[in-house]
Amino acid sequence: MSSDQPFITDESQVVTETRDARMTGQGDRFNSRLREAFGSSPFILTKFDKFLNWCRGSSMFMLQFGIACCSIEMMHTYAVKHDLDRFGSGVPRASPRQADVMIVPGTIVSKFAPRMKRVYDQMPEPKFVVGMGSCTISGGPFQEGYNVIKGAEEVIPIDIHVPGCPPRPEALVYGVVKLQERVANGEAAPVTVKPYELEEFSDLERDELVDKLADQIDDDELVMRYNFADSP
Amino acid sequence: MSLERPDTVDDGAVERTPDELEALLGDLVVDRDDHLNAPGFVIRPDTVQETLSVLKEQAGYDHLSVVSAQEYENRYESIYHLKKYDDPTQEVSVVVPADKDDPVSESAEPVFRTADWHEREAYDLIGIEYDDHPDLRRILLPETWQGHPLSMDYDKDRPQIATLPEHANPLQDHHKDEESDTMFLNIGPHHPATHGVLHLKTVLDGEQVVDVEPDIGYLHRSEEQMAQNGTYRHQIMPYPDRWDYISAGLLNEWAYARAAEDLADIEVPEYAQVIRTMGAEMCRIAAHMLALATFALDINGDFTATFMYAINDRERVQNLLEDLTGQRLMFNYFRLGGVVWDLPEPRDEFFSKTRDFLDQLPESIEEYHNLITSNEIFQMRTIDTGVLPPEVAKNYGATGPVARGSGVDYDLRRDDPYGYYDELDWDVITEDGCDNFSRLLVRMREVEESAKIIEQCVDLLEDWPEDERNIQANVPRTLRPDDDTEIYRAVEAAKGELGIYIRADGTDKPARFKIRSPCFSNLQTLPEMANGEYIPDVVAALGSLDIVLGEVDR
Amino acid sequence: MGTAPAQLFPEYLVDTFGIDSVLGDVVASLIGAALVANIILAFSGVAGPWAKRKITAAFTDRIAVDRIGPFGLLIIPAAAVQLLAKELIVPEGVDRPTWDIAPILLPASAMLGFSVIPMGQIGPLNIHLADPEVGLALVFAFASIASVSLVMAGYASNNKYSFLGGLRAVAQNLAYEIPLIVTAMSVVIFAGTLQISGVVGAQTETLATVAGFDIPAWFAFVNPFAFVLFLTANMAEIGRNPFDIPEAPTEIVGGYQTEYSSAYFVLFYLGEFVHIFLGGAILSVVFLGGASGPGPESISFIWFVVKVWGFFLFTQWARAAIPRVRIDQLIEIGWKGMLVLSFANLVLTAVIVGVIA
Repeated sequence: MSSDQPFITDESQVVTETRDARMTGQGDRFNSRLREAFGSSPFILTKFDKFLNWCRGSSMFMLQFGIACCSIEMMHTYAVKHDLDRFGSGVPRASPRQADVMIVPGTIVSKFAPRMKRVYDQMPEPKFVVGMGSCTISGGPFQEGYNVIKGAEEVIPIDIHVPGCPPRPEALVYGVVKLQERVANGEAAPVTVKPYELEEFSDLERDELVDKLADQIDDDELVMRYNFADSP
Repeated sequence: MSLERPDTVDDGAVERTPDELEALLGDLVVDRDDHLNAPGFVIRPDTVQETLSVLKEQAGYDHLSVVSAQEYENRYESIYHLKKYDDPTQEVSVVVPADKDDPVSESAEPVFRTADWHEREAYDLIGIEYDDHPDLRRILLPETWQGHPLSMDYDKDRPQIATLPEHANPLQDHHKDEESDTMFLNIGPHHPATHGVLHLKTVLDGEQVVDVEPDIGYLHRSEEQMAQNGTYRHQIMPYPDRWDYISAGLLNEWAYARAAEDLADIEVPEYAQVIRTMGAEMCRIAAHMLALATFALDINGDFTATFMYAINDRERVQNLLEDLTGQRLMFNYFRLGGVVWDLPEPRDEFFSKTRDFLDQLPESIEEYHNLITSNEIFQMRTIDTGVLPPEVAKNYGATGPVARGSGVDYDLRRDDPYGYYDELDWDVITEDGCDNFSRLLVRMREVEESAKIIEQCVDLLEDWPEDERNIQANVPRTLRPDDDTEIYRAVEAAKGELGIYIRADGTDKPARFKIRSPCFSNLQTLPEMANGEYIPDVVAALGSLDIVLGEVDR
Repeated sequence: MGTAPAQLFPEYLVDTFGIDSVLGDVVASLIGAALVANIILAFSGVAGPWAKRKITAAFTDRIAVDRIGPFGLLIIPAAAVQLLAKELIVPEGVDRPTWDIAPILLPASAMLGFSVIPMGQIGPLNIHLADPEVGLALVFAFASIASVSLVMAGYASNNKYSFLGGLRAVAQNLAYEIPLIVTAMSVVIFAGTLQISGVVGAQTETLATVAGFDIPAWFAFVNPFAFVLFLTANMAEIGRNPFDIPEAPTEIVGGYQTEYSSAYFVLFYLGEFVHIFLGGAILSVVFLGGASGPGPESISFIWFVVKVWGFFLFTQWARAAIPRVRIDQLIEIGWKGMLVLSFANLVLTAVIVGVIA
């Protein structure tokens, strides 16, 4: 890369669905039924929306969700010194049904990705995800691993990435506060189509692998298919 | 001792030379393949059980540390690293080659229970099949995975399918028999009590646990492959921090450092050894504090004061470690032949900070005793629950506080000394209760011992002459250990015996890098402790095992 | 202090506005009920999203919410609105309408209990809705409806953790309801009535005078043993540490409320807090002299608030410090320990009262 053109990506080289989806996706997560019923947004509803967004940004219930190294720093973030609860977002709920924000604190591997997707699906809208640490960005130090998903974004949409390996608690606090700020302003990362979805086995395209596994997996069993060759 | 025959009881203590062992094994030995740490006997793949039981019962090798499997150009090979709980410096390796086209080898599970999971892992990652194994399934990767990732012809880019079968009607009758109804319950992989992403397949009869089966692999990050892709000198060292990520980084780094230094014959300067010892013990305090904190979470429920106070104490140790290494959690501080930099300047400030920490530590430990161990409800919950008898612990290869809580007096810092431990004055803690309470108590008392060690190290470092502060030996820029040298070396990490097996092939990267994780073996004991108990006891037992999934799954 | 109990609140309204008719009674009762409900909801609203966090934080060396509004107080509307505005997930296979009734039943039953609780006076208003002759029995009956709600929620959720939580709730309530009521009966023997104003009235006399201070004859002082028993059983009844096993987040995720989200979750959350306050109110009525306290009677509402919040503080303290017991141990303590002790207490009280009288 020459120095006068530092950040120009060759579009033809980017073939991953993640990237395409991210560039075209539109956020409609804040749309309430009420607003949809009205079609456009009259004045009173915009004020109402503003209030609602402020509420959502001010009070957030976290999902108690520990995966790997970062979850240790996440515990420190909740605990005495850093006290995430100061910002109104430090109450971890054990059940995904009652959580607003999922902090993904660690490496996602092939066996866990379907489960994480399931937990994400169990959370009620509007839901937000903070990707904590390098592993949720790209696989981090384990990117080369045969079993590692190259970032949590391959599976679920992520609103805020907090880089670091692991990020310091201060960084996570910053990330969460940033998320609150964005939510309060009504901004959200677009809901995008992910390359790895949970689907029923019978819906998969037939190929050599599917044929081979056909006698092991029931037709209606949920599966996730990884195309490691196409990963970013 | 009840499992051993009376006439062989004394043999356990006897140290035999390799030749004597060979004579004892007689015809079983086909060839010799000595490793740097121990004599290695090559045996036929169908005599594994026979050989291991001779070694276990007649020569006293009662600890199967690890089974490391690998693929060569012309064969597969499983190595059983045996030790004695009484004297871990007495080691022996049993090398079992298997056919390249049809890799089948006899299972060691009937002799050592711990071989169950180790062989499943070897099957999963390498592809060796074990005859007579009770349950040979994949353990770390999804059941539907194609290929064995650490075998030679594995294609990393091929597509894979993982399943999510757990969506049946939850109230359906599972495991129903004529006598009673039982219920199948998935605990995890996302559950507040599993300390990460562990999955327990539990069968319940009311509130009681009939059967629990840990299902692991939800954090299998290909650590062994990552290490095999890195060069000895610098590229491997960052990874050990991430095995046992509960701030036990320096202890893990030491495991790799010890194996690689012995492999490449590097002498570590004494000054660096003292710094290593001090740093490692700080890590141990941090790790045990988290064990205490999460155990309190399991018993008390979330937002308990004990959790917060213990995290606060961790915060203090982490500050010290950050001063020393520059990082809070992933230190990357050791180098082969020493440490990366000297103590922080001004040294006096660091020493006084450390001393301040040590001074307030007894007070906080007293507070924990007041808060939890002397609480009647806590005692009611933990005493005599999750019982792990010492013989069972040994059979499963349990080490660390789990073994010491069962009265097994086994601590590599004393029994197989490394670093500066043998020059210092400290004690190995054991408790005879064999229950959840003992394991917690061992950890809490070990924190006090660690504090003693740190204090002595600080004294030593303070008086160390300025011109003898040599932090690193001269190590060649590129390390290329000789072809086909093999070594297994272990250190006492926070959770127990953390061992590394390395096979060098003459290049600057290891040909096989196998991690013996203490949590992996310790977790295997969970069904022994939990079956027949109540759900809260399973949670408590799991908490007292203090597993770290990063280390279990690697 | 007061001798003749002041007029009940609805009666006061009827008299003051001269609406002495059936319609007037209904209107007055509704106004009274609305007032009491608002007081209790205000308590719960403050306690749930804010006070609970602040109290826990104080026990664990933290600060907790302080960025949103003064002292973080604006977290209360924020949390309420954001939870209510969330998606209400109805999982597949839940047993409706049981699943929908359960979260309504919990706060409703606890609120009903407050209808007979004397909450003290604000000026001339005596905040006390009804004073039936079987008031004490009634309030326990209302309070124990809650366990029905928990079982319904646990059973209808089609989730194994909920199921376990629901079953635990039944077992726990069976084991602790009986000692709770038997202990309360010992107080009834002293007071000689089940009417709540009578129970409170029996505690207004002076027990002893120490250094010029009148120590009132609160049953907590008259019979401290019964007080401790009642307190313990009460903690189990409302399901707080060390008896929070129907919920037990580190064991069975959220117990009966695992599958509930959004508004239903708010109702459960609210119900729990109303229930804690009802527990505190029962405790103060039966053992702590109701709303009585030093100072003029016209501000006795303040004493009621102090007592109820004192009990809330106690529950939070227990939450921060005390481990959770196991279900079988809990039942053992309940049936083998508490039940025996409470009957012993009852018999002893009966004998003593009989001898003195």
